[in-house]
Amino acid sequence: MSHLNVIVSAIADVAEGIRHFTLVDAAGRELPGFSGGSHVVVSMRAGARTYRNAYSLLSPPSDRSNYQIAVRLQENSRGGSRFMHEQVQVGTALEIAWPVNLFAISRVGRKHILVAGGIGITPFMSQAHDLLRTGANFELHYAFRSPRHAAFVDELRRLLGPRLKCYDQSQGQLLDPAALLSHQPLGTHVYVCGPGGMVDAVLDTAARLGWPDAHVHHEEFLAPPVGEPFAIRLAQSQRVVEVGAEESMLEAMEAAGVDVPYLCRGGACGRCELEVLATDGVLEHHDHYLSEDERRAGNKIMPCVSRAKCTFIELNL
Amino acid sequence: MQHGYWIRSKPVYTSLAWQYRAQAHMVLAHGEAGRAVLRLYQQRLPEQPVSVLYLVGDEEADYTASLRALAGDCLLTFTKQEALWAAFNAALASACMGTRLYAAGNEAFLWQVSTLAASHGVLHADIMREQPASLARPVYCVHCKTITPHVTTNIAVCSGCQRHLFVRDHFSRRLGAYMGLMVDAEAPGEVPAAEEIYP
Ligand code: FES
Repeated sequence: MSHLNVIVSAIADVAEGIRHFTLVDAAGRELPGFSGGSHVVVSMRAGARTYRNAYSLLSPPSDRSNYQIAVRLQENSRGGSRFMHEQVQVGTALEIAWPVNLFAISRVGRKHILVAGGIGITPFMSQAHDLLRTGANFELHYAFRSPRHAAFVDELRRLLGPRLKCYDQSQGQLLDPAALLSHQPLGTHVYVCGPGGMVDAVLDTAARLGWPDAHVHHEEFLAPPVGEPFAIRLAQSQRVVEVGAEESMLEAMEAAGVDVPYLCRGGACGRCELEVLATDGVLEHHDHYLSEDERRAGNKIMPCVSRAKCTFIELNL
Repeated sequence: MQHGYWIRSKPVYTSLAWQYRAQAHMVLAHGEAGRAVLRLYQQRLPEQPVSVLYLVGDEEADYTASLRALAGDCLLTFTKQEALWAAFNAALASACMGTRLYAAGNEAFLWQVSTLAASHGVLHADIMREQPASLARPVYCVHCKTITPHVTTNIAVCSGCQRHLFVRDHFSRRLGAYMGLMVDAEAPGEVPAAEEIYP
């Protein structure tokens, strides 16, 4: 996978625990264009380990002089967000993958309802610019814990005016998905990004009200959970890769120099799917890509977030 | 002979069934396909409001009376296509997300429903469609661009240019019709006997 070399040109704290980074091309060139909703995967070399996390691009897609990302310090960070908060300074060189869009706005939609919770605002920043540019009919509903947690709210107010609706939970303002989704005109699409509970509430409500699946979009990249160590046997190359308790299968294989494709690293896109040939334990699927039937069949795994409770797992790789 | 072939562009239809997770239901049917709506009414009725828009067919069976008995005031009948499309257009304009759409009729009717609905942002896949027993095809003449409705044979005369057309399995979603190609282009006048294969 080809990478872009960038340098951090500015850092700002934009809300409690949320830090904003501006990235420019290391050689001073224009960065590749992207569309609203795209993300980049940032590689972070922390000692012997490399973390790779996906972050949404916040900047207007028309501006190719820099990329902007926002990183929330995760309480149980395995290292990625902590590295970004504690190690990265203005001038730090980083490696990022080309932008990928797994959360694009529907071209045929008549109206677009964007629903953000907390740091879930990030993919909507670039989308809002795209939607304004095309003159689309849209609204952004933004829920946050308190004004101190409301990243980019002033900028969004300036940009969107009455199209922005805020829900300040510290003031008891709650976003009610049923109220939001029950009176939308035909041809509306809804997009949600935020904490799992909020995403589920919007998806469940849309389904209950009879919204067809193709009108409901969500972006929820999961962090790989920790577990027990085990070994991966690679059938084709006859190699063995040890997976540590705090590492994902994907990270372990990358560290061993095995090339495994990925796009989201969060169990959403399906790009990293691998075939399981054998295991002496049980697969622990954490993605939301595989269907129930595929899980039951037990011969596929998404190594970016899933693992196994076993001593070994054999992959067709 | 292409009879019995399946190729990707040939649309696949199901039989209508209520989608119980909904806010409202809108059913459209034409002529003979009124039967599909009668069958729909044999299933457990949904709790949400239902409206049925029925276009009475010309020579085909007229199910108005049986539909009236089942759907009562929810039924609107039309004898003119234009009136039906105008009513459907108005209904789409005021409908909410969660209004489930069902359509039953010949292919030309179904694709007109889809096209009009698409102008309101409804995706093809959002509409449940059923084709009645007749397999008759609308055929698009690739030479003069006329669409000849209700073709039941594998070779048919184009209603525009009078050429003999071979009716292919290639269906254009944009046109809502099957492609028809001149059959005697190589050897003019040599037209094989037509067979009724889309009864
Ligand atoms: S990389 Fe997207 S599911 Fe694994």
